[in-house]
Amino acid sequence: MKGEAADDAGIKGKTMETARPKFDVQDLDLWYAQTQALKKVAIQVSPNAITALIGPSGCGKSTFLRVLDRMNDLIDAVRIEGKVLYDGVDIFSPEADVIELRKRIGMVFQKPNPFPMSIYDNIAYGPRVHGFKARSGAERRKLDELVERSLVNAALFDEVKDRLHKSAMGLSGGQQQRLCIARVLAVEPDVLLMDEPTSALDPISTAKIETLLDELKKSYTIVIVTHNMQQAGRVSDSTGFFLHGELVEFAPTKELFFNPKDKRTENYISGRFG
Amino acid sequence: MRRESTRRVSQEKAAFGVIRALSILTIVILGLIMGFILYKGLRYSNETRSTVLPYEESAPEGLSLVVNSQVELKSVDFSVLYGMYTDEYINWSKISSDGFDLLPIAIDGNKSEGVGAARLLFGEAAVPQWGRLVKTVPDAATALAMVSSTSGAAAIVGADEAAVAMKGDSGKKIRVVPLRRIELALSDDAAALVDNKSLEDLDDAAIVRLMGGSVKNWKELGGPDLPIKLVSPPAGSSLARTIAAAGYKNAGPAPKANGEKMADYLAGIQGGSGEVGYLFGAEAQASGISTLTRKGVESGWNLTWNYLVEEPRLSGKVGGISTIILNTLFMLVITILIAAPIGVAAAVYLVEYAKQGTLVSILRLGTETLAGIPSIIFGLFGYLFFVNILHFGFGLLSGCLTLSLMILPTIVRTSEEALKSVPGSLLEGSLALGATKLQTIVKVAIPAAASGILTGLILGVGRAVGETAALIFTMGSDYKLAKGLFSSARVLSSHVYLLFAEGISFDRAFSTATVLIVIVLLFNFVARRLIERMGSQQ
Repeated sequence: MKGEAADDAGIKGKTMETARPKFDVQDLDLWYAQTQALKKVAIQVSPNAITALIGPSGCGKSTFLRVLDRMNDLIDAVRIEGKVLYDGVDIFSPEADVIELRKRIGMVFQKPNPFPMSIYDNIAYGPRVHGFKARSGAERRKLDELVERSLVNAALFDEVKDRLHKSAMGLSGGQQQRLCIARVLAVEPDVLLMDEPTSALDPISTAKIETLLDELKKSYTIVIVTHNMQQAGRVSDSTGFFLHGELVEFAPTKELFFNPKDKRTENYISGRFG
Repeated sequence: MRRESTRRVSQEKAAFGVIRALSILTIVILGLIMGFILYKGLRYSNETRSTVLPYEESAPEGLSLVVNSQVELKSVDFSVLYGMYTDEYINWSKISSDGFDLLPIAIDGNKSEGVGAARLLFGEAAVPQWGRLVKTVPDAATALAMVSSTSGAAAIVGADEAAVAMKGDSGKKIRVVPLRRIELALSDDAAALVDNKSLEDLDDAAIVRLMGGSVKNWKELGGPDLPIKLVSPPAGSSLARTIAAAGYKNAGPAPKANGEKMADYLAGIQGGSGEVGYLFGAEAQASGISTLTRKGVESGWNLTWNYLVEEPRLSGKVGGISTIILNTLFMLVITILIAAPIGVAAAVYLVEYAKQGTLVSILRLGTETLAGIPSIIFGLFGYLFFVNILHFGFGLLSGCLTLSLMILPTIVRTSEEALKSVPGSLLEGSLALGATKLQTIVKVAIPAAASGILTGLILGVGRAVGETAALIFTMGSDYKLAKGLFSSARVLSSHVYLLFAEGISFDRAFSTATVLIVIVLLFNFVARRLIERMGSQQ
């Protein structure tokens, strides 16, 4: 991943269409033991945009998302074939550093999973495991700033600024999920992967997170898996429809919703199944 | 239909009643055990038999017995005082459970105090027979100085001097010990063995009835068939004054006029038939007259502050248990230091790293089997392996290693369960932030499982602190403070065992047991608070 910064700088000025894709996935197959969960998936994820992945339960969209930051490595029986290029580098190549990859690609899960520690320590967890030592006063202030900035960016700071050192387990579900987003932001990633981030939340919290996504898009590439088609329609720039492990259709969101090319997509978005 | 439902209700009620009764029974049994041990540990209550009545004089005949304040002696029977000054005792262990050598001091026989002391001990008529241990000093000042400077010293000095000294600088180093010296003398025929029966030992109520005149015949007290004749000491005698001061009743005829002598009074009882009357111990001792034995109950605090802070002496028969408490704490700390890291590491390996296959199931079976092995077998193993093969000898290290082996299964299994119950989403969250597996385990999994792991540690420590069998073979039983990892050490549980098994003192075994229970309770309480605090943080 050398020379990435220079590449990024080059990319920034170009339009979405001409920019090099953040992820270039080619012919991805994935098996859980004998079961094939992903079949020849090919997709190009644009930078600084929100890509939504929709589909019925068990269609492989979450599995696909987890491939992007190699979370499937944790499962023993998984076998993967095909290529996933992140900024042009194959994430499965032997030289790829999975720790560095996961640092650059943050993930927010379906259920809020704050650590059983204080709000501050939750946010500072990422920086700390990546070697940020707050020994001197200046370093401590730097960490404080980082925590505050992350919370501000996750639109949570005003709600928790008075109880940063209280346990994160006392927050509401929506606050916890934004805390998890802030925790990811504190690592200063490049990409945010979100696995149904609002499915466990009430409509008001969902609305807050959707507004947040719009804001975050300016600085991050976001891939979001969602069950909720309205949500995909509201927030995403392009949408992919998964069915039985296949990427049936991938197009700009408006096009996919109003003018689907595939019959199965049309059936799904018009609510005939799923 | 309706009958069916009423039947079900009554069944429910019956089942509820049985369950409730059983649970109450359990609680009652628990309370009984704990209450009994705590009561026996805190209070002692022993039946005592002695010839003297309970009245205590701190200045008999204007004299006082003064002892060094390190001697734990609250009061003294005449027979003990007599024994102290006639070489019957050479140290305090049989008198007051202290280990000091006895140094009895008396003032020179030419002084009035010396004469008084001789009369107090040997009676009016007899020739003083001082023991060879008795040190004779010229005056009270010398005697008091010696008592205050010598741990096991005792002296009979003038009551006034003693009172002055108590108020002075040396007041904290000496103590005036009251004396019990009134006995009940009876005629020889009343005390005689008739038809294989003799007079019972009497408790206080029986003595009051006897001297109050409500018992008419010795037969009623288990003695021979003789009418009881109460006699009173000569009026104006020291004995009569003391009895009056003590408030002891005598329903017998009024004392004769001043002219009568003590010797006649004594001879009247001794040679009479069925007579009984009060007498000083010294006269009884000198004349060899028969005396009644009083049956009393002595009770007091078993577990005292001194017991906690003093070092044990004479196999724990005297002194306290301070070094043993410290040894126990050392043992716990060392055992935790050995067992906790190994146990938690093993649990982490089993849960997070090991491939869940045959090897792991064999390991699990192994830990479960180890948990069920009797501790004595761990003791045997520890003795052979640590003490003999590794040449660690009897000592803290051998004992703690053996205990660690013993409590490891508990720690491993509870830690395993705790780690398993950490939600996978937490671990994923950490890994997704780019943390390594080790970082995730150390910073997320173990803290999240901490309360469970701590519970396992407490269970293990609870087992360790109560362990005796495994320690007797490995840790030794030296009750001095352990000087190092290889020095033999006695802990509370083995102290209880040894006090009991060697028949040293049941009272002390119970007070040690109480301390042990309190330590375990404290441990559990603190740990529970810790777990609660952790829980509230989560």
